[in-house]
Amino acid sequence: MLDVKGLRKEYGELVAVRDLYFQLHPGDVFGFIGPNGAGKTTTIKMLATLLEPTAGTATLNGIDIVRQPEEVRPLLGYMPDFFGLYEGITVTEYLEFFAAAYRIPRAQRAAIIENVLELTDLTVKKDAYVETLSRGMQQRLCLAKSLVHDPILLLLDEPASGLDPRARIEIKELIRELGAMGKIVLVSSHILPELADFCNKIGIIEKGELLVWGVVDEIVQQMQANRILEIKPLGEPEPLIKRLEREAHVHGVETRNGSLYVHFAGGLEEQADLLASLIHDGYRIAAFREESLDLEDVFMQITKGEVS
Amino acid sequence: MKRWMENPLLRYQLFGFTVNRWKRQPLLYGVIAGGVGLTYLLVYQLVAFNQIPFAAALNLCLLVMCLVAPLMAYNLFSLEYEKQTWESLALTRLTAREILWGKLGAALARVGILTLLALPILLTTVELDIYIFDSRSGRIPTVLESTTNLYVLTAGMSLLFSWGALIVALGMWLSFYLKRTLSTASTLYAGQVFALALMPMLYLTFSTGETGNEFIGAITSYWEGFVWWIASLFTARVILYLNPFWAANELNAVLPSSYTWRDGGGSYTYSEGLIYLNWGFSQSITYLALALLFAGLTHRGLKHAWRK
Ligand SMILES: Nc1ncnc2c1ncn2[C@@H]1O[C@H](COP(=O)(O)OP(=O)(O)OP(=O)(O)O)[C@@H](O)[C@H]1O
Ligand SMILES: [Mg+2]
Repeated sequence: MLDVKGLRKEYGELVAVRDLYFQLHPGDVFGFIGPNGAGKTTTIKMLATLLEPTAGTATLNGIDIVRQPEEVRPLLGYMPDFFGLYEGITVTEYLEFFAAAYRIPRAQRAAIIENVLELTDLTVKKDAYVETLSRGMQQRLCLAKSLVHDPILLLLDEPASGLDPRARIEIKELIRELGAMGKIVLVSSHILPELADFCNKIGIIEKGELLVWGVVDEIVQQMQANRILEIKPLGEPEPLIKRLEREAHVHGVETRNGSLYVHFAGGLEEQADLLASLIHDGYRIAAFREESLDLEDVFMQITKGEVS
Repeated sequence: MKRWMENPLLRYQLFGFTVNRWKRQPLLYGVIAGGVGLTYLLVYQLVAFNQIPFAAALNLCLLVMCLVAPLMAYNLFSLEYEKQTWESLALTRLTAREILWGKLGAALARVGILTLLALPILLTTVELDIYIFDSRSGRIPTVLESTTNLYVLTAGMSLLFSWGALIVALGMWLSFYLKRTLSTASTLYAGQVFALALMPMLYLTFSTGETGNEFIGAITSYWEGFVWWIASLFTARVILYLNPFWAANELNAVLPSSYTWRDGGGSYTYSEGLIYLNWGFSQSITYLALALLFAGLTHRGLKHAWRK
């Protein structure tokens, strides 16, 4: 289990990561989303023991990442956002290097390497030279390298950046599979749809602050309490807007493309009452519907488009 | 030895891509190796036929070492930073010591090979007095007598190797701290020009040619020689005494006394004094101590910066 306890990083005046708290369990695929400069890479580097936190810590299966970095390192696999590979050697030799560096007994290496090659779909390239691989293959090789020592936590920093749509889908499949294998997977991205369909948990970070985190469905439901109604009036909208703004549960009306978007705090009962009273008052309404929220709307609502 | 060869980093640095390079472009690298080999033979022939003195041959080898040794270490760490491979390596279970010796060990092996290549060239300065066997007078062929003795030869070889070791260790440390290949290489070359040419020139100019020779001639025991060394560490003369080229020339002066590792007996007092100073060996010890210092600094840096 990964338990993040008040992780914080300051660069002088700038607070890059502000007191993060979250917990992940085996099998969790955690999508870590935030705009550029939100603090994703900083958080991941701290978890990977490559950067010392200003305050706070995290434990992985009870091992403290700040006080016992040497003990956690064998338990985690890390794929940086920007990385290079040793050149001039073949894919197999590259993986052998890391297998030896992680002190995997010589006798087991061949079998493990064969396994990770298969998992990452690189078996056909096992004798190719590292520098001749395409970007997507290099990405997969880097992932394969992070898997040779069978880590329990995988930290993947924007693993899909720079990949074509097909390779993106493949890497998503792979991540899903890793979650199914019982690993804790933390994937960062600044594009939400990329994560939406294979993460069971997400965390949204902005300006170093974890605005919300938890199980995807629960977050969407939570946000639904704050629903948006789309009302399309016939004729002049002004009187209707004035009328709506007097309603108790309404706290904001926006006009877009002739439709009114009403921020509505009530439940379904209140929603039905509103419609009935509007019609009763003689407003002519062509359409009245609730905007269904998906993860992306949640994201847009929470982050308000602020970029640090 | 087995534990050494288990170090994957050492194996990669030593053979990693060299072997593959041969496999991939045998013709190209065959031509390069052939060219280097022919150049070596040409130099060997020139040195042998022109019967150049020992100091000149040693200076030539030292110059090659000064030029080539930086190439063996100038990118040991900086390349890892520049190619972004370092983080992956830092997270493996290799200890700081293994990383250090993996890199330094490979560089030292190359310095060792270069030193061995210098041996045949230094051996050409051995002058042989061969008496032709005359069957009628029945004269027995005299035992070969050389004027380059074992002392001078060993001192020259250790001078070469230890200077290379110093440059390589310094290069490793610089590439660790500067993090830039280009800065490291230029610092190494410029530093050598500064320390080996510019400083001695300045010293000789401003000390109006005072080299301490008259004092050296007065030294009559190893104890005095030792005290002299310690004392000269605190004078500007150390600029000359720690210069391997200067040491090579002084070694030449040892030759006429046909020194045989024992005390006294010589008529040429200056060269006796040089022997008591262990000329060549003293420098080697100093270089190796400095090399160890830089290796230690790199080790400390690794432990501190990367919590290894
Ligand atoms: N070494 C550093 N020194 C000073 N500030 C830094 C340093 N590294 C990161 N920062 C700052 O910390 C903040 C978070 O950076 P971080 O790289 O974690 O963002 P990110 O979420 O990974 O962004 P991106 O999506 O662009 O990768 C940024 O404001 C950045 O400028
Ligand atoms: Mg980032």
